Amino acid sequence: MQFFLDRLFDGISNGAIYAALALALVMVYRATGTINFAQGEMALFTTYLAWGLTTKHVPVVLCLLVAAVAGFALGAVSERVLVRPIEKRSLLATLIVLLGLFSVLNAADGLIWGKGNQSMPSLFPNTLQSYVSVLGARLYWANIGVWLLVAAVVGLMFALFNGTRLGLQMRATANNRESAALAGIGVGRILMLGWGISAAIGAIAGVLFTPLTPDSLGLGEMFPLLIYASAAALFGGLDSPGGAVLAGLLLGIAEVMLSAYVPAIGGQLQEAIAFVAIVAVLLLRPQGLFGTREVERV
Amino acid sequence: MTPALPLLVRERSAAHRGLQTAGIVLLAVLAVYASTMNSFRLGQLTVALLYATAIAGLNLATGYTGQLSIGHSAFFGLGAYTTGILVASHNWNPLVTLIPAAVLCFATGLLVGLPSLRIRGINLALVTLALGVAFPELIDRFSGLTGGQIGLNVSVFQLLPPHWTGISIANRFQYYYWLAAGLLAIVLVLCATLTRSRAGLAMRATRDRETAAAAMGVNLAWTKMVVFGLSGAITGVAGCIFAIYLGSLSADASFTLTLSITLITGLVIGGVSTTLGPVIGGLAVYFVPYWTENVRQGEASELIFGVILIVLMFVMPEGLMGLIIRLSRRILRIEPQPPARPGRPDAAGPAPSGAGPTTVIHHDEERNTA
Repeated sequence: MQFFLDRLFDGISNGAIYAALALALVMVYRATGTINFAQGEMALFTTYLAWGLTTKHVPVVLCLLVAAVAGFALGAVSERVLVRPIEKRSLLATLIVLLGLFSVLNAADGLIWGKGNQSMPSLFPNTLQSYVSVLGARLYWANIGVWLLVAAVVGLMFALFNGTRLGLQMRATANNRESAALAGIGVGRILMLGWGISAAIGAIAGVLFTPLTPDSLGLGEMFPLLIYASAAALFGGLDSPGGAVLAGLLLGIAEVMLSAYVPAIGGQLQEAIAFVAIVAVLLLRPQGLFGTREVERV
Repeated sequence: MTPALPLLVRERSAAHRGLQTAGIVLLAVLAVYASTMNSFRLGQLTVALLYATAIAGLNLATGYTGQLSIGHSAFFGLGAYTTGILVASHNWNPLVTLIPAAVLCFATGLLVGLPSLRIRGINLALVTLALGVAFPELIDRFSGLTGGQIGLNVSVFQLLPPHWTGISIANRFQYYYWLAAGLLAIVLVLCATLTRSRAGLAMRATRDRETAAAAMGVNLAWTKMVVFGLSGAITGVAGCIFAIYLGSLSADASFTLTLSITLITGLVIGGVSTTLGPVIGGLAVYFVPYWTENVRQGEASELIFGVILIVLMFVMPEGLMGLIIRLSRRILRIEPQPPARPGRPDAAGPAPSGAGPTTVIHHDEERNTA
């Protein structure tokens, strides 16, 4: 039981992060109709920024805020400057530009902050003693903190989507950009906002995720995270924020349980599992659990 | 149209054939001239030509059929490891391993292309991204077979030029260079033939107007899957020669996502959907970082690639080869043959000749380069 609970807690923490990033991917997908390949690298860049500030003895809370704001700016500017002029041309061109951004951000991290792996200080008490006992299992405060913060972010997003005028405008734009523009919505502003919020969520996820494992802040940290988040977003349905969050949580738990109870998979095949999951979802139910089926008018 | 300058040459006329022959002779002379360089340069050139071959494979899927692949590093690696394992553990003749490697990569390509049939575009890109990330991990996992993180080493003596070539051990880089150059030539001819055929027309129609293509009778599922398989096989075979040349393989060093991005960058620099673009692109992505590495160490080449990718997509999406073609059209223009061909009634049937779908398709193919 204790072993199971330990794993479950870890799984929920990972799952919460996947859920946040999947939500970010869904927001971009709803705005622009593409997957933002640079999502993970944007998060990595802002995480490095936050880490850089912590080494200057800035409080971690402040670093988180700076990262979120920087993420917002990065996302909004990328949309306006890189994506919008090119997305009319073709999906392929958009994807290639995003791939270029991916490459630039990753390389910039290495040039600014060096290649070695770093440990990121946590927002929450993060020593070996800072846990509460649940049925013999250790539930660390760091885990609880991640859960609560991600829950707060997700809750805020849903309140924004469903309870505000701005959210209504965002949903209208996602649904039909031209009609939204005709109804007087400033579509360009909404798109920038969508990308900005998305990157800000990614930034928060990065700052929360990195301290969970020591020495994990490195140039390759976000590839697997992006793959997992993409798998979750696909599984939940690319245009369904609720589906993405649920699928992210499930995927996080499934990943930890699989490597704990199926020894053949061990600790090494995790990206391969995500790969198989993606292919399986696309083959069996391409619209995902809660997504809407793509209907094309000919 | 000014009467003087765009010289008009009819397609398949004697003048056109002459120009083509001249171009091929020029390339052959360049290849022979390059082979006289020292071993170090020859080794560099070998890798650059292999990149060019891999990019030519990628071009079939991404350029002509519009399926972005961020996972071609996995095909390159799969080919390389197939050769490495068969030679090191089973003592195969290195050149014979190209056959099982091509088959394996083709099959993998079909599998990866499978999900793209249901829905298109980003999903395939996502699958290939996952493949590219998962490949080094799979190599580490099956370390019994692949050597894992330690790497896979093949003895140099198993990779020496065979006797019939008459190349001595000291000059073995000549052999690797000619292997790479020969493979590239074969692949380029294959790609040029394929993309100018009816199948090539189907590929481009699939890329540009999927619905219209299907309405014209193109089997989208079949086209996409087979092209992706073929694309993977070509890139995989380039990986085989890479293994023969290098002799020691490490997935974490050679076959990561960075390689995929390098290949895509090369494709965009050289010119998407052009026959010779991959050659320019392969040379560029190999030698540009090599020269700039002296300026600034480390991540510089990745940064440069990223910037080049973005800037090119904005200012010159047709790439260098596209630019060359566009400029050369001002001087020389190849007129297509009139479509009607008396004596071959079958060609006049449902063949999409003349006005029909060909007007939909962008005429992005260079017809006026040899």
